Amino acid sequence: MKVFRSHILICGGTGCHASGSLEAKKALLAELDKRGLAGEIKVVETGCNGFCAMGPVMVVYPEGVMYMMVQAGDIPELVEEHFVKGRVLKRLLYKEPLTGEAIPTMQEIPFFALQDLRVLRNRGIIDPEKIEEYIARDGYAGMAKALTEMTPDAIIKEVMDSGLRGRGGAGFPTGLKWRFASQSPGDIKYVLCNADEGDPGAFMDRSVLEADPHAVLEGMVIAAKAIGSHQGYIYCRAEYPLAIHRLNIAIDQAKEAGLLGSDILGTGFDFDLEIYQGAGAFVCGEETALMTSIEGKRGMPRPRPPFPAIAGLWQRPSILNNVETLANVGQIILRGAAWYAGVGTTKSKGTKVFALTGDVNNIGLVEVPMGTPLGTIVYDIGGGIAKGKKFKAAQLGGPSGGMIPIQHLNAPVDYEKVAELGAIMGSGGLIVMNEDSCAVDMARFFMDFCKDESCGKCTPCRAGTQKMLEILTNICNGKGKEGDIEKLEKWANVIKNTALCGLGQTAPNPVLSTLRYFRDEYEAHIREKRCPAVVCSAFFKTPCMHACPINMDIPSYLALIKADRLEDAYKVLLKTNPFPSICGRVCNHKCETKCRRSTVDEAVGIKHLKRYITDNAARPRLEKAQLTRKEKIAVIGAGPSGLTAARDLALRGYAVTLFDQFPEAGGMLRWGIPAYRLPREILDQEISDILALGIEFRNNTKVGVDVAWEELRVAYTAVYLAIGAQRSARSGVEGDGLKGVDGAIEFLREVNLGRKPKVGKRVAVVGGGNSAIDAARSALRLGAETVTIVYRRLREDMPAQDDEIHAAEAEGIKIEYLAAPVRFQGADGRLQSAVCQRMALGEFDASGRKKPVPLIDSEFSLDVDQVILAIGQEAIFPFDAGRAGIGVTRRKLIEVVKGSKTATAAAMVFAGGDVVTGPDTVVGAVAAGHHAAAEIDAAIRLRNGEAPYVPVEEEIAIPMVVDEETQEIARVCIPEVACLERIKDFREVELGLSKEAALAEASRCLRCDIQIE
Amino acid sequence: MAKLTIADLKKIKDKVHAETALRLGDRRARVTVHMGTCGIASGAREVMGALLGAIEEAGVSDVVVTTSGCMGLCSREPLVTVEIIGQEPIKYECVNPNKMRQIFKRHVLEGEVQAPFVLARGTEIVK
Repeated sequence: MKVFRSHILICGGTGCHASGSLEAKKALLAELDKRGLAGEIKVVETGCNGFCAMGPVMVVYPEGVMYMMVQAGDIPELVEEHFVKGRVLKRLLYKEPLTGEAIPTMQEIPFFALQDLRVLRNRGIIDPEKIEEYIARDGYAGMAKALTEMTPDAIIKEVMDSGLRGRGGAGFPTGLKWRFASQSPGDIKYVLCNADEGDPGAFMDRSVLEADPHAVLEGMVIAAKAIGSHQGYIYCRAEYPLAIHRLNIAIDQAKEAGLLGSDILGTGFDFDLEIYQGAGAFVCGEETALMTSIEGKRGMPRPRPPFPAIAGLWQRPSILNNVETLANVGQIILRGAAWYAGVGTTKSKGTKVFALTGDVNNIGLVEVPMGTPLGTIVYDIGGGIAKGKKFKAAQLGGPSGGMIPIQHLNAPVDYEKVAELGAIMGSGGLIVMNEDSCAVDMARFFMDFCKDESCGKCTPCRAGTQKMLEILTNICNGKGKEGDIEKLEKWANVIKNTALCGLGQTAPNPVLSTLRYFRDEYEAHIREKRCPAVVCSAFFKTPCMHACPINMDIPSYLALIKADRLEDAYKVLLKTNPFPSICGRVCNHKCETKCRRSTVDEAVGIKHLKRYITDNAARPRLEKAQLTRKEKIAVIGAGPSGLTAARDLALRGYAVTLFDQFPEAGGMLRWGIPAYRLPREILDQEISDILALGIEFRNNTKVGVDVAWEELRVAYTAVYLAIGAQRSARSGVEGDGLKGVDGAIEFLREVNLGRKPKVGKRVAVVGGGNSAIDAARSALRLGAETVTIVYRRLREDMPAQDDEIHAAEAEGIKIEYLAAPVRFQGADGRLQSAVCQRMALGEFDASGRKKPVPLIDSEFSLDVDQVILAIGQEAIFPFDAGRAGIGVTRRKLIEVVKGSKTATAAAMVFAGGDVVTGPDTVVGAVAAGHHAAAEIDAAIRLRNGEAPYVPVEEEIAIPMVVDEETQEIARVCIPEVACLERIKDFREVELGLSKEAALAEASRCLRCDIQIE
Repeated sequence: MAKLTIADLKKIKDKVHAETALRLGDRRARVTVHMGTCGIASGAREVMGALLGAIEEAGVSDVVVTTSGCMGLCSREPLVTVEIIGQEPIKYECVNPNKMRQIFKRHVLEGEVQAPFVLARGTEIVK
């Protein structure tokens, strides 16, 4: 074998070939040859290394240095630097120099490093079909010790002292079970192993049997000695053929070696073993049903007592232990109870194996000490939630278990805590669910499973699960009724208290646990006919529409783009959205997060297409609304919510007066969003269209100052408060009052009023939301030399939209993560520096994000002359809310009455938008405006005894064409103005889509709205 | 196998321990294909077939092939461990027959770790 001093692995995948790796390789070989290095350095072309975007990629060993985007022209310099002079060529490295070890050791990968292997200690190391390899890893040594040195009582004591509890789910102390059986009179006793693993998502027993079958056999012999048994059975489901195959080999080898059968290891102790194959009924995992099944009868539970320790299999004293429990026993005997009890919590000792599955990145089997926090298992070991989605809950214990929701990520997972949270440990199936899972649908799924698996022997389980499933199915199908939740609770308690066996008694658990944590989702299904997770398809035409707060008819306008009927498309937009060209620019597009296209490749670019329509179609002509009603309505606040409500009410024939304290209408659209995201002429046009309906706009009018609240109440039939959250929250740290410490809202308002506020040379923006990004990018455009965003958590925790963060970084804004200001310092009342502190992430908070904790002695100073605080917004009330009879929450927001979306406690006073929800999106405000108009109108009509309002709408024919073939295509990218250009002023950054691009993108829509009758 | 005594257990342990530690004879490497249900479902049998084919083709007799159970990280199966004598074991993830042939040729025979396919090096710690 020829030895080279260095190996260069150059990627030869298709991606890198396309970006020039072949040319680079050719140049490399020529260059090495030229310099006489060909004999020392080997060039290897590898397969795709997965980092195609940075190709051609090249890795140099033994250092493991990875170079990116290596072109043929870079080669002479690369060879000169790296191979002749021995210096890493920094220019071609990926962001930070990747020196040292390129491949981490298993101890460095959290998936492996945080595990504690006891049951799984032989996994992946030994050949399960070779008994010698098991023996080499101390196999059968525990058994030898038990048979030669220990009395049955001593074995039981050791197991009792270890604190080992049944791993099948109930957590009954194993030693105690053995003691009962050993004290039970009789010559014939049985040791049984429960390998009837039936929980959906659990597979640890199968894995242990496949990877380390002798460990289970050893545990069974020790148990036999402890209770005085000479015959055992392993009850394994027939659908585990590989496990059975390996078990059979293991049993044969053990018998041949004298480790099973008569006179084991020459000690005179006899124990024989057989496998009994189960047919896969879930109920046979229940101990009495399992024994009935081995007896050759139909697997059904029998009443206890008598307990199996007295009268089990064939009415003889028996013990039944789970695979995982037995796999622990040999090690406990060999290494002692104290060793075993060395990890775990007060009442739950040792480790637990979890089958980690669902929406996590690392799916697999993990063994961790009892008491490991759920968040550690999901995030550190599991690698977090796949595809950047948010964690919702973990189902623990399969269909008999329950959900542990996001607010309990810190919960130490042991028997006690899990039970307290309403789940069970079960066999350890841990199904992680993300935000796209519906709690009601999950409960229905598990109830369906239990109904199918109910053996039918006792009525509560047989009929009760059926009844509960019916109710759940109705709720999921949109036929839920008031009182269904109470019925579910009633049935759940009946079944729990009266079913014969564990299967029945625990079957209602998923329902009870989802009702405990996600009752609001049940209520949304029943009352609002809405599935918040956008799963139950009976509620919607398409997922995107259901995700949109104003239910925009997305598939229709995409189809109209494809048909090039842009004016019709515009009309479809205006049906539900008075601000389509604004939303086409600044919406946070919840629709795209639920787009089914993302399961094929990427979500359709709905937001960009909306803008394409408004950019290219003529605006539909608007006429003044007919004044048909005598009632007058006052709308306070001309932001998106107030404007929407005013428009809807005007269209319904009301006389509407719109009040605003500023000279122009628009609210946060105008004063909060910078012009580079939303050009002023676009904004003006959409607002003037609304006002042109015949709405009276009273600008520069502050309610409570220019016009009295009491006066409004007399002059108008109803009032809608859409006053927003107009003030930035202050930091509360020392120096907050210095000149140069400004609020983001106030700063952005000054900018948008056209007052050109003086910005500092070096600006720090505190916060991680959209306002922070807006303030930072605006400061840059106003001439700041450096802009730094200081955020106390990590990037993935930032509430700002991802593309905004990207754009800010591209423009040269630095983001200082894990830092927060502790005081602002200045001289003569002017800010000179911001002293910040480093943060570390601690436990999870209720939002599922890790809480920032200040690090001691980590202060550092930012030399800045302006700080902009974007850490929250507060409402300013123009009048005394208490005296007006309006409820205010602890967060200083208006409280709406239960059962309504906008009605306040005061008669005919409604409220919506940011002043109710806290800072929210444009589309959220529009939705509130729609709700307010509908509720105000309904209240007036109810009072007058009139029939409800029926809208009159123009019918627009939608093309029903579906592409039969779907090819994977990446989603469209919207063209942008180059960074260096755009930061000079407030010109719009994003350019619109071309017709060609828009047609292609619209064609990516899968048309989920089309149903085959 | 004859019936074992406790003394035999110890002897087997010592003997096999040495073998599994790759200290015996003039073997150059041991390749472990992880063949739990998860591994087989994702193609470990085909990987094993490719490995045996590659060994036959290369005509080498000093490479030990063995199987083992699930290593826990089921979403990265098929997993293969290559242990060259005197070096740390290297674990490869998402192996398919092509990658297996490449790993055998380049790593087992020529000694270059096939970095792009590597999951990790070393073994798990068992306390």
